[in-house]
Amino acid sequence: MIHSLFLLLIFPGFIFLSIFGTYAEFVDRKLYARLQNRMGPPWFQPLADFIKLLAKEDVVPECAVPGIFRIMPIFALAATTTAFCYVPVWSTHSLYPFSGDVIVVLYLLTIPTITFFLGGWYSTSLFARIGSVRGITQLFAYEVPLFMSILAAALLANTWSLTDITLFYSRHPSYTFFNIIGFAVSILALIGKLEKTPFDIPEAETEIVAGSFTEYSGRLFAFFRLTIDIEMVVGAALLSAVFLPFGLTLGPIVGFILFIIKVLFIVGLLALIRTIVARLRIDQMINFCWKFMAPLALLQIIINLILKGVL
Amino acid sequence: MGLTKKIVTWARIKSPWIIHFNTGACNACDIEIIAALTPRYDLERFGVLLKGTPRHADILVCSGPVTRQIEDRLIRIYEQMAEPKFVIAVGSCACSGGVCAGCYNVKGGINSTIPVSAYIPGCPASPKAIIDGAVKLLTSLKG
Repeated sequence: MIHSLFLLLIFPGFIFLSIFGTYAEFVDRKLYARLQNRMGPPWFQPLADFIKLLAKEDVVPECAVPGIFRIMPIFALAATTTAFCYVPVWSTHSLYPFSGDVIVVLYLLTIPTITFFLGGWYSTSLFARIGSVRGITQLFAYEVPLFMSILAAALLANTWSLTDITLFYSRHPSYTFFNIIGFAVSILALIGKLEKTPFDIPEAETEIVAGSFTEYSGRLFAFFRLTIDIEMVVGAALLSAVFLPFGLTLGPIVGFILFIIKVLFIVGLLALIRTIVARLRIDQMINFCWKFMAPLALLQIIINLILKGVL
Repeated sequence: MGLTKKIVTWARIKSPWIIHFNTGACNACDIEIIAALTPRYDLERFGVLLKGTPRHADILVCSGPVTRQIEDRLIRIYEQMAEPKFVIAVGSCACSGGVCAGCYNVKGGINSTIPVSAYIPGCPASPKAIIDGAVKLLTSLKG
């Protein structure tokens, strides 16, 4: 009982995820700044932002629905933290594996977008509503390629359990190279999920103030920011478990260091893409997802089906 | 000062998020404020971020005298900000009304409408002066 609570709340659960999430945000912002030839924020910056937001006043708008407005940040945080229980960290074994947990992880990672939508919609601000609707529109575009590319990898491993997928790929590391298209597609889809440039259309601050978070302030906004940080780490951990399953059998310490390196590598890739690309319009984004990413993910499924027949 | 209060003050000094509002300036001060936010001066190394919504911001950076048109909007934006909040008046016009003082459509400086925490004079105030004023405001929080 105490052991499970330790696993869930401290390591590798909530506390570890929060610290690692804020650190990943720092790496993201620092890399972004260095690529623009700036100094960038100091290492404690995300922590200072979080503490400052916790100490600020919570404003709930008069027209907002207070219950939903207040509960949504907690809901988002809970969903992302839960998703981490089923992602392998330092070995091929996740905390509580069961068959079919890859689907559960993918759906748990969808919940934050839904909560951003509900929170924005019930804050009854016009900007928040436009941002929320854009977020949901975007969800339908990137979610399908992400599901298809991750499930294509699962197809080759012949299982729906994330633990077994990782086990399969660490036994046959050469099969990973066939999944490279799926990896590229899911990196792009992860950018859409995290609402970062070029897919930051839902919170485009030059157009619609701050999107769904326009009316959020203080503690509630701090939890939303923490959710996005944790979502970044969990998403990167999911991709590294499925597409980069190297060195997971070398013992917990080496595996853990490799896990940190892999996650920061994916965060660095996201920062690189964020630096070199500008924001797209919503219709361009949807077109790109359905015209290029979905067919590429389908191609990945076909490749894996053929591979399964050959091998 | 207790430990919690010390940590909160530290966080507040290290993470000032600003929102920029033109209350009727001739655009010169606005250009200088934008120049202060560019990679050349890189205010993000002090934790400064430009935010779009008053709900997220800690510091309201105003430029220009308060015109009668903008007065209600300025009060509204000030009241939309979450506590604790600070106001910086950038430029001579924002400090006192400047050359626009006494004009038929001008009410005066920013302090004629909302309380101001820091005044940065200059016509226009240079980016270095703006950064210096913001740093002085933040160091005054320690005291």
